[in-house]
Amino acid sequence: MVNVTIDDKQVTAPKTATIYEAAKLNGIKIPILCHDKKLKPFGACRMCLVEVEQMKGRQIPACTTPVTEGMIIRTSTPDIIKARKMVLELLLLNHPLDCPVCDKSGDCDLQNLTYEYKVNTNRFKDEKFHHSIDYNNPLIERDMNRCVLCGKCARICDEIVSFGALTFIDRGIETKIGCEFDDALNCEFCGSCVSVCPVGALLARPFKHKARFWALTKHTSVCGYCGTGCNLTLGVKDNKVLTTIYDENQGFHKGQLCVRGRFGYQFINSAQRLTSPLVRKNGKLMETSWDEALELVAGRLKTGTSVAALATPRLTNEELALFKTLLLENVGTKNFDHSAGFAHSALTEGFTRSFGESASSASILDIQKSDMLLVIKTDAYETHPVVGFEVNMAVKNKGVKLSIISDKRGKLSKLPDATTLVHRPGCEVAVLNAIAKTIIDEKLSVDTAMTVPGYAEIVTALSEFSAEAVAAQSGLTAADIKKLASEYATAEKALIVFPVGQGYAGHNADLASAAANLALLTGKYGKEGCGVLCLSEKNNSQGAVDMGFYAQDGGLNSLQILDACVSGAVKTLFIAGEDPLTSYPDRTKVKAALDAVEFLVVSELFLTETAAMADVVLPACSFAEKEGTFTSTDRRVQFIKPAIRKNAQTKTDFEIFSDLITRLGGQSVATPAEKFTEIAAHTPGYAGLSHITLRKEGAFATAATKPAFVVPNSTPSPAIENGKLALVTGSVLYHNGTLSQYGEGPMHVCPEGYLELSRMDASVYKIADNDLLTVSSAAGSMQLKAKVSSRMPAGVVFAPYHFSSAPINSIWTGSPVTMVTVAK
Amino acid sequence: MNPITPIINGMKITFKHMFMKPVTLQYPTERPKVSQRFRGLHGLKVSHSKAKCVACYLCPTVCPAKCITVEAAEDANHDKYAAVYEIDMLRCIFCGYCVEACPVDALKMTGEFELANYHRQDFIYSKERLLEK
Ligand code: SF4
Ligand code: SF4
Ligand code: SF4
Ligand code: SF4
Ligand code: SF4
Ligand code: FES
Repeated sequence: MVNVTIDDKQVTAPKTATIYEAAKLNGIKIPILCHDKKLKPFGACRMCLVEVEQMKGRQIPACTTPVTEGMIIRTSTPDIIKARKMVLELLLLNHPLDCPVCDKSGDCDLQNLTYEYKVNTNRFKDEKFHHSIDYNNPLIERDMNRCVLCGKCARICDEIVSFGALTFIDRGIETKIGCEFDDALNCEFCGSCVSVCPVGALLARPFKHKARFWALTKHTSVCGYCGTGCNLTLGVKDNKVLTTIYDENQGFHKGQLCVRGRFGYQFINSAQRLTSPLVRKNGKLMETSWDEALELVAGRLKTGTSVAALATPRLTNEELALFKTLLLENVGTKNFDHSAGFAHSALTEGFTRSFGESASSASILDIQKSDMLLVIKTDAYETHPVVGFEVNMAVKNKGVKLSIISDKRGKLSKLPDATTLVHRPGCEVAVLNAIAKTIIDEKLSVDTAMTVPGYAEIVTALSEFSAEAVAAQSGLTAADIKKLASEYATAEKALIVFPVGQGYAGHNADLASAAANLALLTGKYGKEGCGVLCLSEKNNSQGAVDMGFYAQDGGLNSLQILDACVSGAVKTLFIAGEDPLTSYPDRTKVKAALDAVEFLVVSELFLTETAAMADVVLPACSFAEKEGTFTSTDRRVQFIKPAIRKNAQTKTDFEIFSDLITRLGGQSVATPAEKFTEIAAHTPGYAGLSHITLRKEGAFATAATKPAFVVPNSTPSPAIENGKLALVTGSVLYHNGTLSQYGEGPMHVCPEGYLELSRMDASVYKIADNDLLTVSSAAGSMQLKAKVSSRMPAGVVFAPYHFSSAPINSIWTGSPVTMVTVAK
Repeated sequence: MNPITPIINGMKITFKHMFMKPVTLQYPTERPKVSQRFRGLHGLKVSHSKAKCVACYLCPTVCPAKCITVEAAEDANHDKYAAVYEIDMLRCIFCGYCVEACPVDALKMTGEFELANYHRQDFIYSKERLLEK
């Protein structure tokens, strides 16, 4: 701490603070335009000028100057005010000042400062800028005439997003922010640049002219897409969510969002939303009353054990817990599951046996505190972009070492000094085993590891995974594997990160255990910056696991439920929010199951393909219309409250389940808050939490560890056949599950499924971008557009699973790697 | 006081007025000449055969009666215009704040004061009706 005097006030500030930060800490406001607390100090605008007595009263920028002991600082002498006024005059000199048509008006730093400093005349004269405006992409409009050259956009895109789409181009008075070759913007559209731009130079086009900033009501919420659990602020007008609003003080991510969170909100007020219960009459879905629909469903649920349920982990904890109560106690069935089963098995099976708890042993905050990150699949960036930002910052700002084991390269591979070991698809577990074996052989493990149960077994079981043997099988070199092993083992702190999800069948319990073994061998768990972080796919995937909404005690899991539908053991299937026809493996099987089941109930926001097959469709509510809690991938329990009133003809899943419980003669809790009290009492780690405490701030549910070594099964990857390519499935950056299909933002950038293939294969098969390909596997064949990229290794192709217009499960039956043939 | 005096005084005034120009207008045959600054029905000014209004939302923001509805949209040239511009004359209090607030001088108040109508609906003036003819 150092002592400084600011405006005659004796204050203390940390040694590392700048003058701006020291003043802010002590409640003294210094105006800024180009500074952002997330970014490195830059000093471009000179709005923050202050006088320092020791520097002979020279005016210096507060945002870049560190405080020193005894500094005497003045922040608003008449000279400083004059200087700031001139800064503004010069900025306004070429500025178009078209506030009436500028969407930033009301939230514009330049406008606010101009008002505050009463700059209503200009002593200078010059021409206005005549830059052409970039309307080339549907999400971000770039009007460089309004730019004040603060550089925030270019810096955030580089420092945090690590895309580097924007930079200063040209010099002197001609300087502007531009893209490669002064071309149109074509990037990953996270919108970070839009959020930090202090003026209206970068604007969100989906919100363009929709409303004035001051007319919006701001509602804090939690993103309804992926498991990162980003906090967001929804801008609401006339009961419609019109935009997301940036708040730099929100969440661990300080308001940063990805393209889905920022631009994917349109599904909430979509005109396609279901607004009335539907019942199948004479083969057709007809509108009906809630009473009729629920009476029908309740009647069927009375059949007990022949009932099964699938729920989406997008429901709140309260809803999932209530659904479970309904099924277990009022219906009397143990057959329920979510996310095709395998998408959560890393937690429910893998971590449970390896760490004694069905949750990750690390949090997202550990990423920047670690010394080394071992990421399994570059896809971790695409599945959880804001976690990816943390990785970017860890590597770029903190010098954290990044090693990746993956079946393809990706954005993470491009980070400075990142090493990517690209292996043959499907070898992840074998590679991790080889690393474990190397650690044991080279005596890099910690002594305490030998006391962990299962040590002897693991040593014997790993004997066949010598680095050499695995190298031959995986296409890596033994030296690389050994190097990675010793780097991981010798790093002071190391964190393993891997995504799971419906597109990642190989990321199952065995992968989790294989990764956990490494942490256990080297003692890298239960400490800051260490552990294994499993990135759960959906916004409440971890919550669904914590609520125990998966097959246990002999209940059928998702895939068994589908089999049982065909065999007739399951006669009534209740699907809450899932769209298995698109997202579960093996479409033919899913279709057969849904055809065969006698009675299908679907509660949904939209008439999905699955809902269209139902006997009863119940219109449900989105996250913006309900109250409850979501648990993020690192077990942050966060509260959401309604941002808009729901349509009177829809019910939240909570209301639906609670009504059904009553109809089945039970007694339901009245509110989500009451249900949460029950949850807190019974769920390990949730003790002491309540809606009231969570309203203010989310809280981490604690995880206890009971480590044990587990021998992971390593299924050998399928043999390479001549003329065939290895298809791996997964998620694409712009989408999450099937919900984002109803978000206009994501659909603008990535509207359809595709097959991504390497340049080598493209030239062998003479395929160019956008060619329509027929892709066939043993299960079937389908048409996909080609996307040629430099990140895929030869012989491997990738396809995302989100699209019901191109359901990849027509050719994919749930194995991590599928051999396919490709023809034009 | 003589009880007759006030009557005489009153009659004096009455007689005086008999020889003065009448104040009453024989409306509707006779019509008032409204002053320049009269605050009657709003008019949306036109320039280059388009409404000048750029849909900045300042008039609905400042309106104390909250009777102005604006919905902005983007035209083919990416310019902002008012796709909807409505004033509910049943709620308007003719304060003229909207005119004062307009940054592009797109709004005026005309001398039009005959605003009676048969249906409530007809008091909601759409953009088409407000455009200066
Ligand atoms: S950027 Fe700010 S000052 Fe410039 S036109 Fe827009 S609102 Fe006005
Ligand atoms: S949207 Fe994101 S990736 Fe694109 S330029 Fe802005 S910050 Fe960079
Ligand atoms: S576009 Fe916005 S953020 Fe980027 S330099 Fe200009 S004013 Fe700053
Ligand atoms: S999709 Fe995930 S990473 Fe993106 S904003 Fe939402 S929670 Fe954050
Ligand atoms: S203030 Fe003027 S420009 Fe703005 S909406 Fe009203 S009439 Fe249109
Ligand atoms: S805020 Fe300090 S120079 Fe811009």
